[in-house]
Amino acid sequence: MPIHEKSLIRPENLVEHDELVIDGVDVSGHWSTFIETRAISDYNEDLQDEIGALGGGENIHRCWQCGSCTNACTVNAINPDFNPRYWIYLIRLGMESELVRDKDIIWQCVSCNKCTYACPRDVNPEGVMKATAHWLEMKGHTEKKPSMIFDEAFSEQVFDTGKIEDGLVLRQFFQRTGQPLTQPWLVTLVTGLIKRFPVFYLMRLGLATVFRPRTKGWSRAKAAINEYVEEVEAANRKALKLDAKGAE
Amino acid sequence: MTKPVLIVGGGPAGLSAAHALASAGQKVVMVEKEDRLGGAPILSGYAKLVPSHEWAKDAIGGMVSRVEGNDLVEVHLGTIVDKFDGNPGDFKATLKNGKAIEAGATILTTGFTHFDSVNKPEWGFGTYPDVVTTTQVEQMLSSGAGVKCPSDGREPDRVAILLCVGSRDRQIGREWCSKICCTVSANIAMEIRESLPNCNVYIYYMDIRTFGLYEGDYYWASQEEYKVKYIKARIAEVTSDGKRLLVKGEDTLVKRPISIPFDMVVHAIGMDPNVDNMTISAVFGVDLNKYGYVNKTSTYAHLAETNRPGVFVAGSATGPETIDDSIAQGQAAAMAALNMVRNPVLEAAE
Ligand SMILES: Cc1cc2nc3c(=O)[nH]c(=O)nc-3n(C[C@H](O)[C@H](O)[C@H](O)COP(=O)(O)OP(=O)(O)OC[C@H]3O[C@@H](n4cnc5c(N)ncnc54)[C@H](O)[C@@H]3O)c2cc1C
Ligand code: SF4
Ligand code: SF4
Ligand code: SF4
Repeated sequence: MPIHEKSLIRPENLVEHDELVIDGVDVSGHWSTFIETRAISDYNEDLQDEIGALGGGENIHRCWQCGSCTNACTVNAINPDFNPRYWIYLIRLGMESELVRDKDIIWQCVSCNKCTYACPRDVNPEGVMKATAHWLEMKGHTEKKPSMIFDEAFSEQVFDTGKIEDGLVLRQFFQRTGQPLTQPWLVTLVTGLIKRFPVFYLMRLGLATVFRPRTKGWSRAKAAINEYVEEVEAANRKALKLDAKGAE
Repeated sequence: MTKPVLIVGGGPAGLSAAHALASAGQKVVMVEKEDRLGGAPILSGYAKLVPSHEWAKDAIGGMVSRVEGNDLVEVHLGTIVDKFDGNPGDFKATLKNGKAIEAGATILTTGFTHFDSVNKPEWGFGTYPDVVTTTQVEQMLSSGAGVKCPSDGREPDRVAILLCVGSRDRQIGREWCSKICCTVSANIAMEIRESLPNCNVYIYYMDIRTFGLYEGDYYWASQEEYKVKYIKARIAEVTSDGKRLLVKGEDTLVKRPISIPFDMVVHAIGMDPNVDNMTISAVFGVDLNKYGYVNKTSTYAHLAETNRPGVFVAGSATGPETIDDSIAQGQAAAMAALNMVRNPVLEAAE
């Protein structure tokens, strides 16, 4: 089977004209199937630097395309289109449009780091996947994924109080992802808890939910963490040549 | 008193043989076709050499002055050997300028000829002025003129280096790998990035053969420190859109055709057999191998032997060689020649 041709002609490159007459011959519909140009016509020379500037992407330029990462990859075993080696190549050469085509698969990396241990060049492909997903999101190619929203709710709380109140994390997560709080599994969990937990603990849980205690002397730690987070975010946006936060 | 050793060709191999012989007290006569010594690195104006990063004019220039300043070496410039007769210990050579020379042994260090890119017209050399060769870029760097597009003198924003131009190509009867051009190209790419930090350099390859220790110092240094990009593609053609050059081929790793604009395209030209080799073969009675280089008869017993006793060969006359290997072979040939002039009968009888 001519695998080459099949993969080269993508549905979006096939053009049909509903009504077309060439030299007096009616070639409407699929008689007029044209293939749009498939050639890569330029490199985005900033792509490697941009992704390399995001956390985890630092060593991308070391990759020698051996394929060990893809071969070791957990997700690749299930979905052959999940190919870290290939994306690293696209990024290094600046084939942006090719990369963006796979935007809905790239974030599926499960961070198992099998690739990291397989890589002979110490590229840290797991980090590159993270940086790439981050890049896609910052550039507006992908929506925030639920896991990202969860992480945000989680870390916001830690930064704020130095503690985690699971109930609040869950409530925020469901709210921000537009899901009802009355998830059957959650209802079961909570009623189970109430039945089995000693009253004393339940009271403490209740109090914590209402008063949201902070870690002692947290305000200084909080300031330092926020400053650092802002610094990194600003650096990331600068590396990607995006406006300062909020000015989008 | 033994007769001198005749060395034909004053490149790195010949210079090293001459110096080795003179150091052992042996008289040498050197015949060089061009009007100065030094071989390709000097005659073609190479810039910084692999692997020392020394300028060619300093490194090879030092070898030249060491030989020119030696009383035991007699140098004939701007001439070639026209006739060559006799036996080991007792050869007679006549130069084109009429001069007769007696020699106990001879070493051929006549080197190579740069591939002429005009023979690959699809890659645009000779059609577009901004398609140049590695030799031209070496000259831009060594002359201090800097890397500029010949068409209008602008500094290129993007340079493509095409490997294996005139090597590994059956179509044009050149099946050998020229051995050094991958490393030289990586070296040139780094030099371009150093002198023009805003210029991106892409190397289009079939395989990368930066053998031995060059792997780290050139292949990886060029990528890790200089962000040179390597693309697996054999370029189909170089054309122009009127403004910039268009490099067309298939990026084999993504299975996609490419058509990328560049300001300058550099051919990594290979090392052809010396164009004089047919004449050299006839005059000295030495065989050529199937590729057209001077044939070495034995690899292990006597490194530098040809089929004719008393006539030795070294360096890139025998096939694509690096400078260091040419120098080593020059010294090996000197050893063999020294044996020959001091014990001609013994050697011949063996
Ligand atoms: C672009 C380029 C860059 C390179 N850079 C490097 C590098 O950085 N490092 C490295 O190790 N190698 C490099 N090389 C390879 C290097 O050029 C050779 O290894 C080296 O020149 C071989 O030396 P040689 O003495 O054998 O031959 P040559 O240098 O070719 O010298 C042969 C000499 O013989 C003379 N001659 C030829 N025919 C006759 C005749 N019939 N009679 C009399 N004299 C004759 C020639 O004029 C010449 O002076 C490079 C090659 C190329 C093409
Ligand atoms: S970390 Fe991601 S890319 Fe690496 S092996 Fe696991 S799933 Fe694959
Ligand atoms: S294992 Fe490492 S070097 Fe090999 S392809 Fe993956 S990232 Fe590149
Ligand atoms: S050294 Fe590299 S560029 Fe030169 S012929 Fe061999 S593979 Fe091609």
